[in-house]
Amino acid sequence: MNWINGMWAEMVKSHQHNFHSKMIYLSLFFWPVLLFITSYFALKPFDLGSTSPIAEFFDPDDLMLFLLTGYLGYIFFWSLVQSAWQTSYERQTGTLELIFLTPVSRLAFVYGRAAGNLFEAVWLFSVFTVLMLVIVGGMQSIVWSALPLAFVILIVSAVIWGGFLNVVFLFSRDASFLFTILEEPMEFFAGIRLPVAAFPVWGKVIAYIFPLTFVLEMIRGLVVEGKSFTELLSPFAWLVGILSLLFLLTIILLNKAEKNAKETGNMVLF
Amino acid sequence: MLEAKAITKTYTVKQKQGWFKREKQQVHAVKGIDLTIEPGEIVGLLGLNGAGKTTTIKMLSTLLSPSSGTITIDGHDAVQDARYLKQMVNMIAGGERMLYFRLTGKENLAFFGRLYGLNGKELTARVNALIKLVELEDAQDLPVERYSKGMKQRLQIARGLLNQPHYLFLDEPTLGLDAPIAKQLRSIVKDLAMEQNKGVLLTSHYLEEVEELCDRVYIIDKGTVMMHDTPANIINTVVLDYRVIVTTAHLNETFKHDIIKTASTKQLSIEFYDTGDGTVWEVTASFDPTQVFLDIIMTHHQPIFKLEMKMPKLEDAILQLAKERSA
Ligand SMILES: Nc1ncnc2c1ncn2[C@@H]1O[C@H](COP(=O)(O)OP(=O)(O)OP(=O)(O)O)[C@@H](O)[C@H]1O
Ligand SMILES: [Mg+2]
Repeated sequence: MNWINGMWAEMVKSHQHNFHSKMIYLSLFFWPVLLFITSYFALKPFDLGSTSPIAEFFDPDDLMLFLLTGYLGYIFFWSLVQSAWQTSYERQTGTLELIFLTPVSRLAFVYGRAAGNLFEAVWLFSVFTVLMLVIVGGMQSIVWSALPLAFVILIVSAVIWGGFLNVVFLFSRDASFLFTILEEPMEFFAGIRLPVAAFPVWGKVIAYIFPLTFVLEMIRGLVVEGKSFTELLSPFAWLVGILSLLFLLTIILLNKAEKNAKETGNMVLF
Repeated sequence: MLEAKAITKTYTVKQKQGWFKREKQQVHAVKGIDLTIEPGEIVGLLGLNGAGKTTTIKMLSTLLSPSSGTITIDGHDAVQDARYLKQMVNMIAGGERMLYFRLTGKENLAFFGRLYGLNGKELTARVNALIKLVELEDAQDLPVERYSKGMKQRLQIARGLLNQPHYLFLDEPTLGLDAPIAKQLRSIVKDLAMEQNKGVLLTSHYLEEVEELCDRVYIIDKGTVMMHDTPANIINTVVLDYRVIVTTAHLNETFKHDIIKTASTKQLSIEFYDTGDGTVWEVTASFDPTQVFLDIIMTHHQPIFKLEMKMPKLEDAILQLAKERSA
């Protein structure tokens, strides 16, 4: 099928283009690990006993697990911001125009790009997460049977999110501001280090803009807190809603972006 | 047959005027061009910088939509049937961009091949055949960043043939290439038209290239077609001065006078300059004067030291046309 073929093309190319040296894997690995470790030791000195205000929102004994799941989700989502940002490179080299010269499904291209970059960027950290659990313990608090579902939710959400970002960068050559908007705020507000439930109202409002917030709520609920799927219907409904909206916007913007490019010739301007 | 009828392209550019104000400006890049390309023929598109060549090619490639006018291939419309057109055409631009430098030549081709719906054995076979065609077998597994300019351009040609297009648009394909490599490229292009019956549209700033390759030439200026003919006819109609420059032994003034008189009866004009090497004759005429002029020299028994022909070039033709137009 042409659709799969186009997606596959983009995945293979992203791999060949981004992972031409072993060093990349190292940096991809150490960066999230460092983030995780610094957060862990920054939180550790505080009173995290059962009297801690945070205990109201999650079991402080699960801090390690809480942070690991948080950063796992964050790495998935953040790596896609970076890959979308690289679209500007394709614009400059003119390869973007050549892609649009072909009849390939635009949607396949956009999601192939997201999926390709995702798998590359996250598998090492996923391995790290598992290793940490084995070494440090916390295995007993994991609901292993919920893991496959959690991963599917994480991957599908991340790809839809990444596809949307790719289109935004296709549409505008000045989209690098997104980089700034998404880096720190997403790390903070999506509830990676602190539970969203602990935020004041205005913080919650911001948090619920990021699909990552709901993804984390789902994953932690399923895997760490051992909730059943039916108990998580509300965040799931929100997640599906936001993802559908992103998907719809992706299709609309993609059509607009190509139409606009045909009008102005901006596919090669940078 | 590919046919463009009365196509125009107007770009709207926004010019910044202070912080918030923006002024819209219209750039009429193409103002109503008609052109056709038949299978198997090489058609040239010539014009000075900014004439609208690249814009035209991008409209034919479906990368730009015309502001008005229609483009069809065998009756299929470029706007309504863009998918069909994309399978039928391809575009190759000169210069070193438009490739993934970290990927090998083979990987580049495989990527674009997949975008055209190729996969499996068919993809491998197509890629291998094209690598062979452009003679990059030895470099196929090297990253493109290690290719020379000529190799990159050949890889571009291979890329442009992945979908076996019926029509190929080449935008300055020999830009910045050395003469022998440009020559090799020209022979590939010739074969594509002659042997594979592809219709080729070619823009170039190297006019010998257009003269050598093209069956027909469109000369465009400021977005309109100024002239459309064979290269030879264009030269005949536009270029009015053929020049031959000859050096002989020193001549005396009465002798020169005699010759000028004879020449003028034959519609030649001759000027003389005396140099250390002898007398230089500069002969100009509105036709190829070689024959008539040699007759004159023979009857006066002058030995020729040096003979130089200044054959008219398309370049002169274009400059001449542009001059006449703005006058
Ligand atoms: N994307 C664009 N937006 C606005 N104006 C443009 C755009 N592309 C080209 N132009 C303008 O349109 C006109 C025609 O440009 P075009 O690139 O088609 O010329 P060309 O004949 O290919 O020139 P060259 O020989 O320099 O390549 C120029 O005035 C150019 O500035
Ligand atoms: Mg040009």
